[in-house]
Amino acid sequence: MFYRLSGVRHSSYVSDRRMFQVPADRNAVIILLMIGLAAPFLIPSLYLNSYVLPWLIWTAAVLGLNLVTGWAGQLHLGYAAVMAVGAYSAVHAARFGIPWEFALLIGGLSSSVIGSLFAFTALRVKGLYLALTTLAMQFVMDWVLTHSPTITGGSHASLQSPPFALLGQEITSDAGLYYVALGWCILVTIFMLNLKRTGLGRAWVAVREKDFAAAILGVNSFYYKLVAFAASSFIAGVTGAILVATFYFLAAPEQFAVNVSIQVLAMVIIGGLGSIIGSYMGAALILLMPGVVNQVFSAFAGLIGLELSIETLAHIPNAAYGALIVIFLMVEPLGLGKLYANIRDYLMIWPFDQLKK
Amino acid sequence: MTHDTLPRLLARNAEQYSQDIALREKDRGIWNEMTWTDYANTAIACAAAFDVLGVGKEDAVIILGDNRVRLYIAMVATSMLRAYAMPAYPGATLAELQHFVGEAHVVAAVAEDQEQVDKLLDLRQAGNGSPAMIVYDDARGMNDYTASGLRSWDDFIALGQKALADDPALRDRLINAANPKDPAVFMHSSGTTGKPKGIVLSHANMIAGANNAHAGGAFDTGEEVVAYLPMAWVGDYALSVGAAIAHRFTISVPERQETVQRDMREIAPTFYLAAPRTWDNMLTLIQVGIENSTPLKKWIYHFFMDRSVEAEKRKLKGVPPGPLDRLGRMIGEWLVFGPIKDQFGLTRLKNAFTGGEAIGEDTFVFYRGLGIALRQFYGQTETNAFTAVQTADEVQLHTVGRPLPGVEARIADDGEILLRADNVFAGYYNNPDATAEALEDGWLRSGDAGYLEDDGHLVVLGRLSEVVYTKDGERYVPNYVENRLKFSPYIKDAAVIGAGRDQLTAMVCIDFESVGHWAEVKGVPYTSYADLSQRDEVADLLKQAYERVNNVLPEALRLHRFVSLPKEFDPDDGEITRTRKLRRKVVEERYSPVIEALYDGASEVHIKAEVTYETGETGFVERTLPIREV
Repeated sequence: MFYRLSGVRHSSYVSDRRMFQVPADRNAVIILLMIGLAAPFLIPSLYLNSYVLPWLIWTAAVLGLNLVTGWAGQLHLGYAAVMAVGAYSAVHAARFGIPWEFALLIGGLSSSVIGSLFAFTALRVKGLYLALTTLAMQFVMDWVLTHSPTITGGSHASLQSPPFALLGQEITSDAGLYYVALGWCILVTIFMLNLKRTGLGRAWVAVREKDFAAAILGVNSFYYKLVAFAASSFIAGVTGAILVATFYFLAAPEQFAVNVSIQVLAMVIIGGLGSIIGSYMGAALILLMPGVVNQVFSAFAGLIGLELSIETLAHIPNAAYGALIVIFLMVEPLGLGKLYANIRDYLMIWPFDQLKK
Repeated sequence: MTHDTLPRLLARNAEQYSQDIALREKDRGIWNEMTWTDYANTAIACAAAFDVLGVGKEDAVIILGDNRVRLYIAMVATSMLRAYAMPAYPGATLAELQHFVGEAHVVAAVAEDQEQVDKLLDLRQAGNGSPAMIVYDDARGMNDYTASGLRSWDDFIALGQKALADDPALRDRLINAANPKDPAVFMHSSGTTGKPKGIVLSHANMIAGANNAHAGGAFDTGEEVVAYLPMAWVGDYALSVGAAIAHRFTISVPERQETVQRDMREIAPTFYLAAPRTWDNMLTLIQVGIENSTPLKKWIYHFFMDRSVEAEKRKLKGVPPGPLDRLGRMIGEWLVFGPIKDQFGLTRLKNAFTGGEAIGEDTFVFYRGLGIALRQFYGQTETNAFTAVQTADEVQLHTVGRPLPGVEARIADDGEILLRADNVFAGYYNNPDATAEALEDGWLRSGDAGYLEDDGHLVVLGRLSEVVYTKDGERYVPNYVENRLKFSPYIKDAAVIGAGRDQLTAMVCIDFESVGHWAEVKGVPYTSYADLSQRDEVADLLKQAYERVNNVLPEALRLHRFVSLPKEFDPDDGEITRTRKLRRKVVEERYSPVIEALYDGASEVHIKAEVTYETGETGFVERTLPIREV
């Protein structure tokens, strides 16, 4: 219905590999981008900074995990640990007086180094064993954080993040912090969008589908798995640092505990493995849905005059939220991204049901 | 410099619009583009090469293959040398090509690929060694060919470029060699009634035709056109070369015949000319597509489409659309019509035409209802395809519009349409008898029966030779009834019989694809076309189509009995022309036992039909066909 493809043609292979082949997709992205840029003027700053900003940052994190799990096909249960490495290194660097631009980079690189060092050993095993090994990494990191006062200041301490600044300009306003998160999220998205157009991205997909089949094709699967971990860890590190600098304002070990790892993985799976739009949707569902369900329930209870105890009010939304996830995954096991793709396909060939040839 | 020949116009385009895209050809998914400068340079190099090899005035060059940019260029190049470019249908048989060699001095041929080169080599062997020179476009599979006079296009062009480099004056000489009276192309009449006759159209004819059509509102300057019509059909040359050069069209050549639909979508042409058959086929695709869709989408489609078609029918009767009609159109356009048009690349279409033969009313109204301003045009090879068109605001069902500016039309005493214009040819090639028959004091006998209405609109009834009378004296044109039958997606071809009989009957060929699909959905088992066509379930399906047609026909012209033929009409068997017009004589002769059985009340008939395979061998299809009552 909205998708018009006539007149789309290519006079070179470069143009044939354009990012947006369908004009409607490109227009949708442009509109979304404009809404994103105008958001500080459209949304009250309370909502902006307590919902939209964390959603964008977590989306960047989900994209990073999706890279290693969705694209390269390696299960990763220690993602929060890698984020912690980036967050702590960046905050320490910033406290040391290094400008934030470089501090973020240091955070990303140190995550990347630790992540790939760990992957180097972990990748000796595959599948569920790899999952368990990455989980071990999470616990090791938790232990290190709580037992190294030099890094974290001790088990119950938190590390104050210096005021965020870019290019010597201190950024403290709500809108400013929002734009930082938006900028990073867009950057990661552009990177991910381009993956499928590069040899690197295709090599990862080959490894995901069957690593030894990829090896037969001449793709060094160990190398590409390692690069996947390194790249994903870099994104995780920078995202962790930005999360602390623009949202939490202080770093504490429990911000990067095992439940966070599981939560990010849940976002990836509900969003859809290997889906970019799914990553946005998955992060939104897990992050924002509890609040929304909560409000809907208390409003509904108030409307019909039902006296619910605080306890029930706290639990019913949780149950509803869990049910919602189960329902989504039952309707489309490949995630919200696939759900979106189904709708898009449906509209793409509207009003026909299938296309000949 | 006057711009009175195609080469001179081409040179003008190269000079004034050098960077505009003139030609596109799709190769492995990519549209390779050529600017006017590239076009002119390649054509001149090609002409220079022909010149070096001794092609000159009165020589003929066969152009054999599907639409290819290089074949178009070769045609223009041939006309620079005052020689005859003779385009042939890619499916032309050896006998058809021998006819070409027999009628003119064929010295060279430009072929599309190995398949066509093989055919030309056979032609050489079968005859007197001509064509001596063969140039091929696609080099695939040509490595081991050692026949003399065989050149690849690249070598050929290199030869021409060398000649141009050696002689700086050659370029101008080639551009200006041809005069307006010199031949632009050597076409053949479609031959529904006999051997095709040679028709030479001059540059003057071409340019007059293009200018008249432009003045008559058939097209604008700079149209986007997909060149998919067979190159040997005058309509393709007149558009893709004549009008394209005169009015700077961008011509896009699809990758292959099978990819035309997809390539059309990528180009989204602004001008589209198609035979009624093509419009019918597209209609079938849409109908089958919707039929297989979900109930919701089917309902939405019918809700808007049916109303829009009704509104269009009223509009054609002179009732202007009401506000509800317009609202329905607007929502329908967004919801249904737009997406359908998008699937077929018709969204940018400004000038859509049907011509070549009469279009079925239902098909015509359907497309108008869909929001495509389909118009009718009338033309013949002898007038360079452009005789009359409907203007956008004067569309009527029964007329073909006014004669173009520059074209005079009058009606002879026997009802034949006579035409006089600058785009009328000078006479059949080496055939004074036929010329004398067709041309009288500069008036062309079109062979069509028709009349002029008071407001100047031309009405074409059909071929003069085809207007027939039933025993009771009821006058009708079989084609008219056949087109109504063919509106059914399940009927591909039909032959209506009834001249001198007391009632009408018909022979039909089912559309294998849509009936086959229908059979799969309904669980009707079948093994082959012959088998499927005779099944009782299919007969019921056809009966519905007949009943629908009978409902709109006058009492005397209703169809009474019919036979579903066990094979499709095939140009290789001579039953239809390559442009898929029915060769009525051949069909009536070949199926005479069937026709007899249709009238003697028999309930079945045994036939033995000859089929020609693609290899040229012949075989027989033998079957007993049940005769059905409507």
